[in-house]
Amino acid sequence: MKHFAVIGLGKFGFSVAKTLSEKGCEVLVIDSDEEKVREASNFASQAIQLDATDEDALKKIGIEDIDVAIVSVGENLEASILITLLLKEIGVEEVIAKALTSHHAKVLQKIGADRVIFPEREMGIRVAESLVTPDIIEQIRLSPSYEILEFTVPSNFTGKTLKELAIRTKYKVNVIAIRKKVPYVNDEGESDFKEEINMAPDGEDEISVGDVLVVVGEVKNIDALRKEK
Amino acid sequence: MNNKELAEDLLELGKFYFLNERYEEAIKVLQKAQKLNSSSADIYYNLGLVYEAKNSLHEARSMYLKAVEVDPHLALAQEHLDRLVGK
Repeated sequence: MKHFAVIGLGKFGFSVAKTLSEKGCEVLVIDSDEEKVREASNFASQAIQLDATDEDALKKIGIEDIDVAIVSVGENLEASILITLLLKEIGVEEVIAKALTSHHAKVLQKIGADRVIFPEREMGIRVAESLVTPDIIEQIRLSPSYEILEFTVPSNFTGKTLKELAIRTKYKVNVIAIRKKVPYVNDEGESDFKEEINMAPDGEDEISVGDVLVVVGEVKNIDALRKEK
Repeated sequence: MNNKELAEDLLELGKFYFLNERYEEAIKVLQKAQKLNSSSADIYYNLGLVYEAKNSLHEARSMYLKAVEVDPHLALAQEHLDRLVGK
């Protein structure tokens, strides 16, 4: 299991650390604010209050044993750059840094950050895309031209089998999973539904209303498939 | 048969359609039931379920909201509503 460190417990860093902990990962959190450190100590495997721009302090806590460090220092550009630099120098294998501006991102990349993220910008793009195309549930870009897309089926797909729809031959897109909502009556006699995922759909599987298809393929082919309604 | 009893029967029919994934029919009878008895949280909840099942999340949300408005203790409706937040 990888060891993570989250440096800077703003809203972003906090939720990264919390999610990693919830997924059972070992997370070391660092912040200079005592209050934030105390709050994170409820879930993190280790919560330390220190100034992460202090190289000796970082070495003392054994930061070099960390596999992935997330630098989520908020407004302080200088600190964010310095910490990223220190972490790479000390030998942390993968450093992910949160950037505030594109200039900041460039600097972070130059000094060795393995990945630079813009949470606000990325979330903004996602929200905008979800508003324009509400049937898209999840979109993962694998490369500039390939993606995994999760979308609710258009109405003309329902009642047909995958074989009849011939998605692979017509669009060169692979259906890798079908998520279905299956109605049932619970122990109290109330109706409800549960989600079932068919991870190995075959040609005979029929699409019903409300199904979600998970497909992988070239972006232009997937776009063509999605226009089909 | 008074309106409430009729609504109750229509609700059962709606549940039956829902269980058989006949969502359009379910919506039709549940809407009728809702007109006959607008103070039943259960009818709103079931309408919400059908809408959610067919991915009409906006409608689902408004039905769940009505369900908890009528009966704040309807835990299932609240659960579904919570899950829809942010979707």
